[in-house]
Amino acid sequence: MIDFEKINVGDQLPALTKDPVNEIQLVRYAGASGDFNPLHYVDAVGKAAGQGGVIAHGMLVMGFMGQAVTGWVPNRNLKRFGVRFVNVTRPGDVITVTGKVTGKKVVDGRGVISGEVTAADQNGQVKAVGVFEAYA
Amino acid sequence: MEDRNAILETRFPEYSFAVERGKIREFALAIGDPREICLDPEKAAQAGYADVAAPPTFGIAVDLWGGPDFARLCEILKADPVKVLHGEQEYEYLGDIVAGDVLTVRTSVTDHAEKRNMRLITLRRVYVNQRNEEVLRCRTVVVELK
Repeated sequence: MIDFEKINVGDQLPALTKDPVNEIQLVRYAGASGDFNPLHYVDAVGKAAGQGGVIAHGMLVMGFMGQAVTGWVPNRNLKRFGVRFVNVTRPGDVITVTGKVTGKKVVDGRGVISGEVTAADQNGQVKAVGVFEAYA
Repeated sequence: MEDRNAILETRFPEYSFAVERGKIREFALAIGDPREICLDPEKAAQAGYADVAAPPTFGIAVDLWGGPDFARLCEILKADPVKVLHGEQEYEYLGDIVAGDVLTVRTSVTDHAEKRNMRLITLRRVYVNQRNEEVLRCRTVVVELK
């Protein structure tokens, strides 16, 4: 649990660094999510699409971001979570999710925290940016 | 070229999806998110859930396993699958989603914009459980490059 009184705007969420994305994970995520777009597991399709090879599902990266956010606030406290996909993720990329608190307010007697999250790779290239709102 | 604004009138089939423990587990592990409330019914119960809980992006599995898959979605949206990208995704959480739930999903196309080098299609989905409680809303922006 997080303590609303002790949260301040600008506070950092604990960073989450994932294992390198690999093809096995993309196949597992294709099966788990039901997204069988071959762009994510057939290299020739990735090349034909001008990506140089397979790319990760955007929703997998959002999944990493969701793991980071709900590692900090309990799952059930999350009210809203949205991301915009900026760059593609490829096998070998090591994604780190960072975030910070951007606001706090009281709504109907409950503390609500808003924040932003970013997923970036080992070179600092941003893959997705997101915002969330959660009950404290 | 046909009038693509007609897409705003697109009727999506309503679909249902039974949420199972195994699917939640598979989904969480595919992300590499070994959270106990998603994997262990006892830990989930201790945290106050009726059963193992869905991770925050689980709605995508409900859509793609319960509703039209990616290829069919592109057909419905009259989009070229090779040129389709995922632009944005936003969830609003209104209640728990746990194993044992049966979700029914209604989809609508709420916006369609043509830009110089791309087409943006916004879909909205509402997820209702077996007790007729609205538990999740979703907004998706699909990008088709020209």
